[in-house]
Amino acid sequence: MVAIAPRRARRSRRGARTHSVRHGTRRRLLRGLRGVAILLAIAVAVFPLLWVLLASFKSAGDLMRLPPVVVFRPTLSNYLGVAREGFFTYLRNSAIVTLGSVALSVGLGIPAAFGLSRFAIPGRKTIMMAVLSVRFMPYIVFALPLFLLMVQIGIIGTLGGLVFVYIIINLPVIIWLMRAFFDDIPRDIDEAAAIDGASQGVTFFRVVLPCALPGVTTVTILSLIFAWNEYLFALFLSGRYAQTLTVGLTRFLGGMETAVRWGMLSAWSIAIVAPIVVLSLLVNRHLRRGFTTDLGQ
Amino acid sequence: MPHSRRRYPWGKAALYIGPSVVVLLLIAFLPVFYAVRTSFWSWHLHRSASRALVGLGNYLELFGDQRYVNSLGLTFLFTLLSVSGTMVLGFLLALLVQRPFRGKNVALALLTLPMIMTPVVSALMWRFFFFEPSVGLVNWFLGLFGIRGPAWVASSPWAFISVIIVNIWFMAPFVMLIMEASLSSIPKEPLEAAILDGAGYWQRVLHIVIPMIRGTILFTLIFRITIDYRMFDIINIMTGGGPAFDTQVLSIWVYNVALRTFEVGYANAGATVMMLLIGALCLGILLLAGRKSEGRLWSR
Repeated sequence: MVAIAPRRARRSRRGARTHSVRHGTRRRLLRGLRGVAILLAIAVAVFPLLWVLLASFKSAGDLMRLPPVVVFRPTLSNYLGVAREGFFTYLRNSAIVTLGSVALSVGLGIPAAFGLSRFAIPGRKTIMMAVLSVRFMPYIVFALPLFLLMVQIGIIGTLGGLVFVYIIINLPVIIWLMRAFFDDIPRDIDEAAAIDGASQGVTFFRVVLPCALPGVTTVTILSLIFAWNEYLFALFLSGRYAQTLTVGLTRFLGGMETAVRWGMLSAWSIAIVAPIVVLSLLVNRHLRRGFTTDLGQ
Repeated sequence: MPHSRRRYPWGKAALYIGPSVVVLLLIAFLPVFYAVRTSFWSWHLHRSASRALVGLGNYLELFGDQRYVNSLGLTFLFTLLSVSGTMVLGFLLALLVQRPFRGKNVALALLTLPMIMTPVVSALMWRFFFFEPSVGLVNWFLGLFGIRGPAWVASSPWAFISVIIVNIWFMAPFVMLIMEASLSSIPKEPLEAAILDGAGYWQRVLHIVIPMIRGTILFTLIFRITIDYRMFDIINIMTGGGPAFDTQVLSIWVYNVALRTFEVGYANAGATVMMLLIGALCLGILLLAGRKSEGRLWSR
């Protein structure tokens, strides 16, 4: 861990000033300020979620009270209401689409990343850039024509269709990240396995893949989160019967004639983010590595 | 000829890479092709009889369309403000948490929550619990100081400002994570030398740290630009593009036009222009900055 202001160097500089008391207090003050700033940043990051968590246990009266109440009589009515609004159907849809598309993307992407890392074929770079361009493309450019095409072949509004479409989100990430992980595994391992008589397939599955297992965990977690959070494709392509949790949430927004249903809105929101938040806190190191792996060093 | 062909492991490569390429061609490149194709047609979703090839007609119409031009401008302004906001804030946060301290892992985990939280949910939270004019926390808080807060998502220009605030809240942690990792990996000697030369903290940051992580900054910038440029979910939930057309960025324009007028040919022309512009912009940035520091990049 290298600091921008390395402690050792700072100390020597302070030494030159013969440990002046004033300087010591200044340093302590700075450190204290830094602690306060970090706590403040954490508060800003976490408070909205905590506030909605609190709101999800409030009765309709408590929700609208000003000044806002922190101590109140908690109720489960919002969660029960959400269950009556078909929450579990949406949950099932979200789960199927997320798990299905992540399984497919990981199954497709990992061998592809291995191939792109190991086989020196011409056009490799072009493939990588094409894959990347999918990642950076405005998704609306895919969504509208996908809608038209899926209507034509009759798979609009099906879970299977969504499973397939969600591959767009995750496959590029998986290919790029896993290629970085595979590149970091020395080729000597492959060659040693080949000399021992292992076929290419055995080398991949039994030798290289186990070394890349942390990478596999990382991309799987990232993919699960991206797919679960997806909204745009679901909005365009899920029709009436394949709506996911994120699309279902909009039914509580209210409209011209209906009011916003605050309580259920909060309960539904909490139910969507709960698995993601728990997962991310449990495997945070994996997640962070995913977001920072090998970025142009 | 057959000799040189044998040198490459085509068979194996096809086996491993082939399926992904085919799938991407099918679900990503075919739709793009289809979008470009329909953009040359007058194509109403429910009136298949009146479909006609109009050539560049849709494109000519686009640039006379005040709402489209307005969306273009808004998208660039949104991207500019939101990207610079997240880059600066994310970098400052990274400096803040960069040195080891007790509980750093927990702090980073909590700080990255906004980034992994479902964007639709974040948008709702902010819209209803914070920016709601009468019972929202922001206006209540302002009221404590005798300030009458604006109607936020329902008023101009506050709707635009509030979606930018929410997007910065959402994306600053992403920049922080990348910068933090990058800061941790820079060599120590130049910094120590600078300290001996009497350079202050901010001088070191500006003249040594930033040039050293230039490659990371460049690619973070490209991620951030492409992601904000295509912004859809947060704005769709917070304002739907309104009030009037104040927050109708390009993605929202395409959605609204397709949904309200069913002129999908026209909507696809707008989407195609959107795609070409971001492609040109990214290429421009890469060429300007030189491709020296090409790293492995990906991510949201």
